Amino acid sequence: MEEKKSAKVILRELQDKIAQDVWDAKNRGEKIGWCASNFPQEITTAMGIQVTYPENMGAAVGAKGGGQRMCEYAEGMGYSNDLCSYSRINFAYADLKECAEQEIPMPDFLLCCNNICNCMMKWYENLALELDIPLLMIDIPHLDKYTCDEDRIRYIRAQFDDCVRQLEEITGKKMDWDHFREVMDVSQRSSRAWLRAIASMSATPSPFSGFDIFNNMAVACVGRGTVAAAEAFEALADEYEELAAKGETTFKGEEKHRILFEGIACWANLRFTYKALQSRGINLTASVYGPAFSFLYQNMDELMAAYAYVPNSNCFERELEMRVKDAIAHKVDGAVFHMNRSCKNWSGNLYELERRFREETGVPTVMFDGDQSDPRVFSEAQYETRVEALAEIMDERKRAKEAQA
Amino acid sequence: MGNAMGTDIYTLGADIGSAASKCVILKNGAEMAASTVESAGAGTGGPARAFEGVLAKAGLRREDIAMITATGYGRNSFAEADLVISELSAHAIGAAAFFPGVRTVIDIGGQDAKVLRLTEAGVLDNFVMNDKCAAGTGRFLEVMARILELDVTQLGDMDGKAEQSAGISSTCTVFAESEVISQLAKGTPIPEIVRGIHESAAVRTASLVRRMNLVLPAAVTGGVAQNRGMIRALGQELGCELMISPDSQLCGAYGAALHAYRKAGQ
Amino acid sequence: MSRIDDILTQLETISRNPRAQLDACLAAGKKAVGVMPYFCPEELVYAAGMQPFGLWGADMVCDQSRRYYPAFICSILHSVLELGITGKLAGLSAIMIPFSCDSLKGMATNWEVSVKDIPVINVAYAQNRKIDAGTEFTASQLRKIRGQLAEIAGREITDADIAAAVEVYNADRAAIIAFADAAGKHPKLVPAAKRSAVIKAGFFMDRAEHAKLLTELAELLAAEPGDRGYIRVVTTGILADSPALLEIFEENRICIAADQIAAESVDARTQTPVTEDPIIGMAERYGKLEGCSILFDPGKQRGKELVELAKQAGAEGIIWVMTKFCDPEEYDFVPVKRMADAAGIRVLSLEVDRQMVNYEQIRSAVQAFAEMC
Repeated sequence: MEEKKSAKVILRELQDKIAQDVWDAKNRGEKIGWCASNFPQEITTAMGIQVTYPENMGAAVGAKGGGQRMCEYAEGMGYSNDLCSYSRINFAYADLKECAEQEIPMPDFLLCCNNICNCMMKWYENLALELDIPLLMIDIPHLDKYTCDEDRIRYIRAQFDDCVRQLEEITGKKMDWDHFREVMDVSQRSSRAWLRAIASMSATPSPFSGFDIFNNMAVACVGRGTVAAAEAFEALADEYEELAAKGETTFKGEEKHRILFEGIACWANLRFTYKALQSRGINLTASVYGPAFSFLYQNMDELMAAYAYVPNSNCFERELEMRVKDAIAHKVDGAVFHMNRSCKNWSGNLYELERRFREETGVPTVMFDGDQSDPRVFSEAQYETRVEALAEIMDERKRAKEAQA
Repeated sequence: MGNAMGTDIYTLGADIGSAASKCVILKNGAEMAASTVESAGAGTGGPARAFEGVLAKAGLRREDIAMITATGYGRNSFAEADLVISELSAHAIGAAAFFPGVRTVIDIGGQDAKVLRLTEAGVLDNFVMNDKCAAGTGRFLEVMARILELDVTQLGDMDGKAEQSAGISSTCTVFAESEVISQLAKGTPIPEIVRGIHESAAVRTASLVRRMNLVLPAAVTGGVAQNRGMIRALGQELGCELMISPDSQLCGAYGAALHAYRKAGQ
Repeated sequence: MSRIDDILTQLETISRNPRAQLDACLAAGKKAVGVMPYFCPEELVYAAGMQPFGLWGADMVCDQSRRYYPAFICSILHSVLELGITGKLAGLSAIMIPFSCDSLKGMATNWEVSVKDIPVINVAYAQNRKIDAGTEFTASQLRKIRGQLAEIAGREITDADIAAAVEVYNADRAAIIAFADAAGKHPKLVPAAKRSAVIKAGFFMDRAEHAKLLTELAELLAAEPGDRGYIRVVTTGILADSPALLEIFEENRICIAADQIAAESVDARTQTPVTEDPIIGMAERYGKLEGCSILFDPGKQRGKELVELAKQAGAEGIIWVMTKFCDPEEYDFVPVKRMADAAGIRVLSLEVDRQMVNYEQIRSAVQAFAEMC
């Protein structure tokens, strides 16, 4: 009898399959695209168009130790070392067309969406020029209010339709709107399962190490419109809930403290950043990646709005609320804030976010300097010292609380 | 000793840097009659000492010098100068004389690093300078040497003793400092740390070079050119031979003196 | 003193003392609204009978702003925030802040929490600028802003008010271009620092007045013989108003033959079409703007325009005044420089910021550039 695969294995296999599907399409002579991580995946999934995500590649190359080499190559091309390291890795790859850590097929068109940042727009402009291929962009204006207004929804919707028309021309594939609605449904199923998996972290102990989220993110980001992904996330949520019900966890060691980790992971220093926490019995039980990849909507207009609610596209109050709610629901004792040199959009309000977060949750926080994929602006010594200080404060508070009780 | 005789033309180049002052006297634009290096730069007594010293060494007086060109950070405050040129032009002229046919000159000074592109005729055609980042400049090596309790001049020999390299990846001087300290704490041999430092600085400098596209042959000038460890690391990073000269520190002053000679002839 | 010097001095005084302008405006009972980069609808402020007050920061040390922005955000935003927090902009009735770049996206929040008495007017415009839906979205936002400004002004802003303001702004834009052309032929009469000050004065004064003075200046300059013996360059970038930087240009006999600087000619190069509903015309202008890295520019029109400007101006090179930590500019730099290289035009990039005190590296680079030309 075949043993039942764990959700982790299913997800890894699915991730490999998603990557392979793009290569296969490319090799069949289909037109494939490079796509921004928060571009509405419903469009490409429904049209059966294969795309791949340079941001995910940037993270993978960073995690496998190639970030510095690729960034340095891009700097040799003239790109400033202040620019987003995902984009630097991608510029290097677009020029070299090879990378020892991970490769993706070269694109025939580009799909850009600037909801997560404007640098995406400049990045893809340069790619379009360099590779001489069409660039389609859905512009999602930053929200100035808590709720996405009608004007924005109308504008996004018009671009959505425009984009579909252009993609039909480029790829020769037709949009089937009935299938589109199915993809919307499947995406909802995935998102709900994903949220259920994330919500299991509210158990004490949390059934898993929060760093595992970083590994599953890629599928959540790119594959959520497929039944396979929905099933995988359902399996994942079931597993976590089962563990939680039994009071068990896959986190290594005793879960002494629980924290929120704010910001993109330091892929190039993932092991170090994890170890410094895990060795002190600190588990990550909250991060914006939970809510980030759950796009909940009931209809087309809500779908448009959902893409305006992605992290860092919102007004500050909504951004703050996302973190505070998550932290409270997942019972954190502290928070670590990553001042990410690559990401100006994420960093511009980070000091204020940290202050307000501390005020509203009452938990201690620390901030460290780092980068998503460039190891040269991360200092082990600085990180270690700050995490240690946070652990001491959390220890002290725990003692005081226990003494009181 | 005495007055300069006959039709010989003497010109003087003064390179007044931020940390050192260098003077060269050229005879007929070809022969280096004398040179001085004072390790005190603009705003100190260094420029005057270098100037008086070079005249004394050559046995000449101020009025024997047909033309004086100043260059370097303190060029505009050097009162003896007849002419002033930027250190980029001076280095280009000097390097073309030191290394005939050279197309790329990498000058690593105390405060900045620059890469010069020369035409086949040896004329400055384009250049790039380092940005806000100190990594890849002499300053970076100085700070690192200090943590290792070494003099910056010892780095080259130390590197030669290394069997492997301790990876130093930070570009930020402050972060690199903490990396070096943690390597020391781990007991990594100092030569390996030094090699790691050189490789880190070399990568930074190499990316500056690549911004211009590397055209060979290439040479390194400036004080750092005396550091064999750094030259090896840079050569390896760029995958090419790099020419150096024992007089590389005088390249700017030499270029200025040659510039003065060309102007004197006009 | 010649009439040319007279006008130059007058505008230079204004550009060097913005606070005096603001005080005079407030003393006259006129409200003022801060206008941040880039491309905010100043015309609507003007139409409401208020004074738009340009906010591109100041050359100063920033301390308070560091509580909000990390060090790797550009000094334009740092210094505007610093001015706000330290009360140097007290008296403004509001501040318009767009979302044009990632660093600006954090500005409104940082401002709201640190400068409580000056309310923010958010400015969003479409980046998909060439499609109808983009124009419609921008127009919708302009209408919203029109309402907010009317409330601050305490009066209605009619279509006629806006049409009149558009006319004033179009005239000033034309005057700026005419002046910049004339200055490019007279670097001795209008050295780089004065040229910058003349354009910059428009941020702090009545645009109708500014247009009048610049038109007169351009006419007076046209009657003068052109100055020879200068190295002609085109500048590009976000901002190039540092007197210390521009004096280095002057020392090296560099003449700014034309510019593609966001704070100078970029905005002025595009007129607002006259439309029945003036808001539509204003929105359409966003679709026509070119030459700035914060605009969505899939074909890098900016690079083509820059090369064209350099050719038309007979320039020997391009000086890229790179605002430190400006990521849109840093992205544009690579492909645009390549376009210039392909056209055989030399590019010198100078990284500057508003906290800069040591210009020696720049002095060397500019001198070497001049020596090459």
